[in-house]
Amino acid sequence: MAGIGQFDFNLFIRILPDLASGALVTLKFTTFSILFGLILGTITGIFRIVKNPILNAISTAYVEFIRGTPLLVQIMIVYYGLPEAGIKLPPELAGILALSINSGAYIAEIIRAGIQSVPKGQMEAARSLGMTYVQAMRYVVLPQAFRNILPALGNEFIALLKDSSLLSVIAIAELTRMGMQIYAVTFNAWTPLLGVALFYLMMTLPLSRLVDYAQRRIGGHESA
Amino acid sequence: MSLLKIIDLHKRFGDLYVLKGINMEVERGEVVVIIGPSGSGKSTLLKCINRLEEPTRGKIILDGVDITDPKIDINKIRQRIGIVFQQFNLFSHLTALENITLPLRVVKKIPKDEAEKIAIKFLKKVGLDDKADHYPHQLSGGQQQRVAIARALAMNPEVMLFDEVTSALDPELVKEVLDVMKQLARDGMTMIVVTHEMGFAREVGDRVIFMDNGRIVEEGTPEEIFTNPKHERTKKFLSMIL
Repeated sequence: MAGIGQFDFNLFIRILPDLASGALVTLKFTTFSILFGLILGTITGIFRIVKNPILNAISTAYVEFIRGTPLLVQIMIVYYGLPEAGIKLPPELAGILALSINSGAYIAEIIRAGIQSVPKGQMEAARSLGMTYVQAMRYVVLPQAFRNILPALGNEFIALLKDSSLLSVIAIAELTRMGMQIYAVTFNAWTPLLGVALFYLMMTLPLSRLVDYAQRRIGGHESA
Repeated sequence: MSLLKIIDLHKRFGDLYVLKGINMEVERGEVVVIIGPSGSGKSTLLKCINRLEEPTRGKIILDGVDITDPKIDINKIRQRIGIVFQQFNLFSHLTALENITLPLRVVKKIPKDEAEKIAIKFLKKVGLDDKADHYPHQLSGGQQQRVAIARALAMNPEVMLFDEVTSALDPELVKEVLDVMKQLARDGMTMIVVTHEMGFAREVGDRVIFMDNGRIVEEGTPEEIFTNPKHERTKKFLSMIL
């Protein structure tokens, strides 16, 4: 049994396809969750700033609850808790639901900051031309807010991609779970786990480069 | 009947009492210039006229209709009242052309190609049709302000409000903006102009209103106000800035 307790290059080559498929699952879950999170976060972010105490309270409670509790607990509530309330979800759906609700809260704060980064005069000018509040938000404020928060959204995507490893606890065959399964049958920890880390890096490094690039571009585009 | 009539207009921001009973009338085609020290309520008055600020009390009658009536569709009314701001407030993610076409398309539901024709026409009017594809940050302050004027004009308003539109500009860029406004006055546009440009007030204004501390202190022809002011406060203000 050569290679136990150390890096086994032959094993590494053999498990590459499994790790790659795990990485794809990770990417898929992260992408779906960030998209739903973006919708949820935009609505919540707007609810946080409109002059309506009920919407303010609901959105604040949601954001505080999610940010103040561990994602692992949130995943387990959705996966083990909801069935007891009569809502049985397959693990994939439970996973995407939990990640979306989680990222929605963080994205809401990003969106809120983004909207507040757009000068007040933009909304005022839009309204002065006869646009409704909703039209002014949609055509004038939000496009500028999204431009300003693109780097922050990129960072949220990276964070979520790493956090999605927690889905391994509900038996989703994402990257971390794949590594654990390989360890369970080979009793070699170094090879699959280093492989797992490498695959995470291959996804996060290009993304963070992209975020840096976007940040520089926006920095150079600062307008009066 | 006058185009715009303001009756006993008051505005409070909490403890701050900014407008203390403004009464004024503006005839169609008239150019009214409002002068006065900063903090006198001039800008708030302009913003109350299209209800960007909600008046605390009082009436604003536009062409016979009370636009402070809560049942009125204010978005319809605002299309008839153009406003140009001190800080230009061009939409920074849109080109000069798109700045003008966006409200035409969204508010007036005008199709894209027609909206672009209208936009070009008004960019020509302010001498900037060659800058149609430029973004605001690629334009000088004077050019941005001219685009902002074109954007307001393209909505075909009945009255135009100007809120210290040259105050944020470098001195050498002021003239190009004032020239556009002079041409507009000559074309017969009804204008209410808040400004510190006394030369403009004297040359273009049909009537000058001096405001101080939330009240209209004195009004008259430019001749009356500038050469023969009646009130002490008007005299003092003019002596400080002329």
